[in-house]
Amino acid sequence: MSANAVRSRSGIHGHETASGWLFTGPVLFLLGLFLVIPVLMALWVSFSDWGGRGSPFSAGVHFIGFDNYSKLLAGGGLAEQDFGTSLRNNAWYVVLVVPLQTALSLFLAVLVNRAVLRGRGFFRTAFYFPSVTSSVAITVLWLFLFSSTGSVNKLLSYIGITGPNWFNEPSGILHDLLGVFGVQNGPAFLTGGTFLGISWWDWLAGPSVAMSAYIIMGIFTTSGTFMLLFIAALQNLDRDVTEAAMVDGANGWQRFWQVTLPQLRPTLFTVLTLGLIGCWQVFDQIYTGTQGAPDKTTLTPAYLSYQAAFQDQGWGQGAAIAFILFVIIVFFTLFQRWVLRERKVSRRKMRPYLSVGTGSSGVPAGAAAAGQPPTPDGERQ
Amino acid sequence: MSITQSTDTAGTKQDHVRRRDRNGTMAATSVLYAVLIALAIVYIFPFLVQVATSFKSETEAAQSPVSLVPQVWTTAAYRGLFAHSDFPVWFKNSAIVTVCVTLGRVFFDSLAGYALARLHFRGRGVIYAGLIAVMSVPGVVLLIPKFLVLNQVGIYDSYTGMIVPLLTDAAGVFIMKNFFESVPISVEEQARIDGAGTFRVFWSIVLPMSRPALMTIIILSFQGSWNELSHFIVSTQSPALTTLTKGVASLASGQLGGPTQYPLKLAAAALMTVPVAVMFFIFQRRIMNTTEGAVKG
Amino acid sequence: MQKDTMQKGLAVRILSGAAAFTTVLALSACGSGFGGNATSTGSGTAGGGGGLTSSSSALTVMIGSSGNAETNAVKSAVADWSKSSGTKATVIAASNLDQQLAQGFAAKKPADVFYLSTGSLAGYAANGSLLAYGDQLKDTSDFYPTLVKSFTYNNKLYCAPKDFSTLQLVINTDMWKAAGLTDSDYPKTWDQLEAVSKKLTTGKQTGLVVSGQYERLGAFMVEAGGNLMNADSTQATANSAANVQALTYAKKLLTDGAMKFAADTGASWGGEALGKGLAAMTIEGNWITGGMQSDYPNIKYKVVPLPSGPKGQGTLEFTNCWGIAADSPNQAAALKLVEQLTTKSDQLGFAKAFGVMPSIQSAADSWKQAYPQLAPFMDAAAYAQGVPAAKGSAAVVSDLDSKLGSLAKSDPKTLLDETQKNLQALLK
Repeated sequence: MSANAVRSRSGIHGHETASGWLFTGPVLFLLGLFLVIPVLMALWVSFSDWGGRGSPFSAGVHFIGFDNYSKLLAGGGLAEQDFGTSLRNNAWYVVLVVPLQTALSLFLAVLVNRAVLRGRGFFRTAFYFPSVTSSVAITVLWLFLFSSTGSVNKLLSYIGITGPNWFNEPSGILHDLLGVFGVQNGPAFLTGGTFLGISWWDWLAGPSVAMSAYIIMGIFTTSGTFMLLFIAALQNLDRDVTEAAMVDGANGWQRFWQVTLPQLRPTLFTVLTLGLIGCWQVFDQIYTGTQGAPDKTTLTPAYLSYQAAFQDQGWGQGAAIAFILFVIIVFFTLFQRWVLRERKVSRRKMRPYLSVGTGSSGVPAGAAAAGQPPTPDGERQ
Repeated sequence: MSITQSTDTAGTKQDHVRRRDRNGTMAATSVLYAVLIALAIVYIFPFLVQVATSFKSETEAAQSPVSLVPQVWTTAAYRGLFAHSDFPVWFKNSAIVTVCVTLGRVFFDSLAGYALARLHFRGRGVIYAGLIAVMSVPGVVLLIPKFLVLNQVGIYDSYTGMIVPLLTDAAGVFIMKNFFESVPISVEEQARIDGAGTFRVFWSIVLPMSRPALMTIIILSFQGSWNELSHFIVSTQSPALTTLTKGVASLASGQLGGPTQYPLKLAAAALMTVPVAVMFFIFQRRIMNTTEGAVKG
Repeated sequence: MQKDTMQKGLAVRILSGAAAFTTVLALSACGSGFGGNATSTGSGTAGGGGGLTSSSSALTVMIGSSGNAETNAVKSAVADWSKSSGTKATVIAASNLDQQLAQGFAAKKPADVFYLSTGSLAGYAANGSLLAYGDQLKDTSDFYPTLVKSFTYNNKLYCAPKDFSTLQLVINTDMWKAAGLTDSDYPKTWDQLEAVSKKLTTGKQTGLVVSGQYERLGAFMVEAGGNLMNADSTQATANSAANVQALTYAKKLLTDGAMKFAADTGASWGGEALGKGLAAMTIEGNWITGGMQSDYPNIKYKVVPLPSGPKGQGTLEFTNCWGIAADSPNQAAALKLVEQLTTKSDQLGFAKAFGVMPSIQSAADSWKQAYPQLAPFMDAAAYAQGVPAAKGSAAVVSDLDSKLGSLAKSDPKTLLDETQKNLQALLK
């Protein structure tokens, strides 16, 4: 049997090379043609002066080095200003959406996880449904809900607040908040200096009221997807650890922060990464909704890239914006990975436990109550 | 693959703990449900408003934007939608593209996933690493260059240009690969020994066994291609090839003659959501379990 | 074993076939993409003396419509020509004309005939997207000289002006009477405009509602003696004292509650605000007649001249022309279509449908006779000024527009200084 099997196996694996390449061939070809080659082509266009007619590889197109990039990052004109504005708008979007959507989806997951079985299905469906709809449909709905005579303002009027004309209000909410306390213009050192064509005071303006409507929409549509990830993770939790913590007298709140949350680290990492990558690419909603208005406060780099290329015929610049955005996304992903990395437990903190025997599940006795996450064996000092 | 039940692991200690603060638990439970119900209302309410408003007149939509029952039921929005826009054309185009892309993805992703899972060939590791790298390229970078490539290859502004670039996605390959790796190899080995070729083993034996994963691919690609927008913006320009997403987006930016016609726009958005919603409700268990499976994998 | 070898051979053959196919496809694609016309850059006409392309393909006409009235009028005019000439033609109302034109030019599949504005001419002409057919037109002497000048680039007339419009004050006569105002109260100065507007602001209606953009507020700039650029678009004059004065006046109207921007009232343009009863007056162009007729037929309105500013009467003038693409496969037919669309009868038809004024002088009298109530628009031709036409100025103007939305809270001088800087950057 074994001799036959060996011979058959080598015979089988012999032409598996051909099959292997043949099977993956279509995927490789399509991904190569529509992903790898485009990226290379865009790289060339971003370094060239192609004007938008004819092939970018034709004779009349010249290599201009970093001209497109420098115009965006240090040009001093409209291009730099628009780029800076778009970065600011998107940065605020990321800063608000990523933590809020992570927290909300975790909160929903915890709640739904506790619910009785029958109800759980209904609630999961209700919270996940917005993620299924297209961003175009949701944006159209949002344009109605947040219009000056829309549902949101009507509901706010029930509690006595006159809502703003959401999608037409360009003032930054931070500035508005400060304005409530009488701070109208920023201090001189903030209004004086500029970065990418925007004064530091304007960088700190916060998202505009219009952008805030998009932020709410972003949280609304993505919390369901991440809730599912958290629910799955919560259901895979090691029950022994939770029991040990309960035995040690930790209450619900402590249990959550010291035991549950650290075990969710991989999922948390996934959610944050996906959230970051997604939030830096806001395009569909802007294209459908406000196209950058009011006062360019809903302009995002992705939309600016599209606009510069497809509307103003600045193809090189559009490509340059896209690549700078690529770098930003990669940077933030790596940064977030570094921030959330598993850190080695310091010697000082580990000392109380080094003398005590470990529990049956590998957790040092009292570790839960003491606040250290159960570290994998390799990191014990 | 069913949902993991979260039953108690029934230790007597836990029962004891539970019995001790039942009153506290009751209060806590009611609060829990109150919060859940309130949140569920917040999540569902917008869609109810959407459907209700699509049956209102424009003036009523502006005057009572919160009421879920129109004072005067009217289908003017829907009639206007079909009379003054190319909605049926958009629907047809979306349907064509979605069906083709879904079928294509099912076939190509499972082929490639099988190869990566089961076949041993030189370069397999490189392909695997390459797919991971490809998945990390953000979509926005591809907006302009895809347009350029479509023009170079000559399939711009055609169904081919709309469908072919969407035919494969690295994520689908990974889902199939993960699934195939979890299938016991004995059946395949048996078939090989009996003399079946690789493709035969794949097509007749492994593929029929992989229905759960295929359903996942079908659902994800249906949803993905039905809701796709930026690809259609860059790959077409003629009105006859406009899809639902592009068409409704142009409606939203108000080109149907000026005035802001909310009932009409909401009707369009509602209609375009119906197929995805139907898919969702039928297959929701599968969708919920997939994401859980993705985490496990 | 034999089966294995056969399958191996088969697999290898399929694989190499696929590789070969891919290579061939890639090579041919690289060569044939983007139209493959080697002499693509340049002026667009293949040699002098009527080197127009001709084929049997249908024409696409892309327009940036102001509403249903305009779209239907153009569609019927084109259909009539189609019937008589035998060439099929379809009209597409673009949702974003600039973007759809740019995409078409880049893909070498442009619309054959399209609306071309003064602001976009320079950019498209410079990269060779346009056919300069001015010298092929049968008779260019009938066009208003100022319009011809706006569409001349590098001493070539690129396209035939299709019409022109000016801005004037449009008043809801019912609201006017209800406020106790008469014919003698039509505002002749800026102060009178403010006073009248305040009188007309009651409850939900605002006295004056305009779109918050340069394309409307610029009328005040001209009345103060300024404009964003000089007549030739060779000099940037954005932050002149006159412009600052004009925007300061507009800001005052806003802060005093006499004027509101359309977006703040929930309307998408001044005409909608007028039609929905949110405005007693608006500043709009001729096209408002078509919109009012089709969407708000019950509103009674009157067109009166805008008030005079510190330097007299002034307003903005808008004109578009019929552009023909250099990459159009059927330029000969396109030219014939344009010639038809600029005849007196077609232009008066457009005038009837959406109120624009014909671009040919011979039609002026017929127009004035047919529409005496729109006379102020025609009279404005004497003192109207155009919008900037320098290459890239459209982007600067739209940047200014986006900032004007918050004029009530901003400093006009700062806004205009920014615009001046951006305009000067274009002229370097």
